[in-house]
Amino acid sequence: MTANVLILCAAGMLVTAYLMVGQKALFTTIRLYGLQSSLLGIVAATNALSDGRNDLWVTAALTVALKGLLIPWFLMKVIDRIGIHREIEPFLNVPASLLICLGLTVVGYRVSTGFPEGTRGASHHLIGVALSMLLIGLFLMVTRKKAITQILALLTVENAVFLVAVGVTSGMPFIVELGISFDVILAVLVLGVLVQRIVGRFESMDVSRLSKLKG
Amino acid sequence: MTDALYTVGLALLQSAGLLAAAPLLKTVIKKMKARLQNRQGPPILQGYRDLSKLLGKESVRSETASWVYVAGPRVYFAATVAATTLVPVLMAAAPLEAAGGILLLVGTLALGRFALATAALDTGSPFGGMGASRDMTIAALAEPALMLGLFTSALAAGSMNLGVLVRGLLQQGPSFHPSDFLALAGLFIILIAETGRIPVDNPATHLELTMIHEAMVLEYAGPDLALVEWASALKELLYMTLLVDLFMPAGIAMRAAPGAILVALLAWAGKVFVLAVAVTVAESTNAKLRLFRVPELVSISLGLAFLALAIRFL
Repeated sequence: MTANVLILCAAGMLVTAYLMVGQKALFTTIRLYGLQSSLLGIVAATNALSDGRNDLWVTAALTVALKGLLIPWFLMKVIDRIGIHREIEPFLNVPASLLICLGLTVVGYRVSTGFPEGTRGASHHLIGVALSMLLIGLFLMVTRKKAITQILALLTVENAVFLVAVGVTSGMPFIVELGISFDVILAVLVLGVLVQRIVGRFESMDVSRLSKLKG
Repeated sequence: MTDALYTVGLALLQSAGLLAAAPLLKTVIKKMKARLQNRQGPPILQGYRDLSKLLGKESVRSETASWVYVAGPRVYFAATVAATTLVPVLMAAAPLEAAGGILLLVGTLALGRFALATAALDTGSPFGGMGASRDMTIAALAEPALMLGLFTSALAAGSMNLGVLVRGLLQQGPSFHPSDFLALAGLFIILIAETGRIPVDNPATHLELTMIHEAMVLEYAGPDLALVEWASALKELLYMTLLVDLFMPAGIAMRAAPGAILVALLAWAGKVFVLAVAVTVAESTNAKLRLFRVPELVSISLGLAFLALAIRFL
């Protein structure tokens, strides 16, 4: 039962990462990220329930509250203030991106069998999904121009790392988890401000314009 | 001999049952959509009334129409009805499962689509040609995605035959694999695309430049139109039944006992209703995509289905 829920959530996270690549509306991308983080929260809660470890409940609550609600809300506010709602032209078009992400998933899954934990049951899928999401996040960061999408890609990578930490290992020390959570919040806040500054100066979120000089 | 009679009887019974239920499904979705928009919506029997009204009219055909135009709706209707006999609904066996499995099902549906598209081209009206070419563009992407998604389940159960497949899934019990979820997500997009629901096509409007299915059947009137509409509703129910069979098979009767059949009927109706709610929500919360963005959406489902198949092997 536990394994089924874990696999269901991991697969859901992979689908959300995939859909993030598949479309361009920024609001939808942010909502998908919120959904992805909530699924991560369910993974943590499931492990807390099955292993009887109370500190994982805090992790689950923090994940849902911070990454599922607070960060999406903050990013939506940033977008609202800037008034840019779409990723107009990524470096690669959507079908090509999807094809590459397919290949990345296959690579991620294949590599996951190299881990000693990666060959059996639920942890095979958890590691496979996490590695695929990591690669998809990196790919998204490289091919998209808008700063907000790059932040979301970074957060996807962070979710992937967290998925392995919570789902496969016996978890990190509580203080480390707290530290990471606040690190993420701080990073998003700083990046949000940075995005607003970029838009204020360049009239665009397009980071490829940052290479041009501006007096 | 009695075996053959029994099989034919079962096939007729199943397709008649699905035919009877199909207009209801269409109206229920319309009704739920209306309620979400704070409207009253049509009465629950409106689908049947529409069909009986259309069937009672005389058929008006264009002077330039040839036999292709007349055959189109009939072949479409017949192919869709034939396809229903290949899918298990209440019992874990399709009535005509000896005839073929997934490939025959996809092929039969493709035959119906081909007939309708050629018929739309026949009168030479610009709308018909436009609708046909659009429908085919989407179908060219949706069909391989449908096949890949179905193959994923076939791989899990070890058979391409839908009856054997569902029996295998039921015997395995509720086990879970990530590819199931990916395939379900992919096939749900296919369900939306193939039945002309909102992000792809708008079923509620005529004479809009972006319409797909309605443009194809714009020339039809009377009984011809009734056949097309009825077959389209049946196709939607068929796709939903297929999704229910492959991903939520619990409740399907393994034996032909009256009690088990009754449970299966309730379970089937409930699961189809859940899918109908999902379609309604998808329709109400999304805006229609621009036509040139539709292939992107369908290629997402193709990707998801391919991914599901790939993960099965890894």
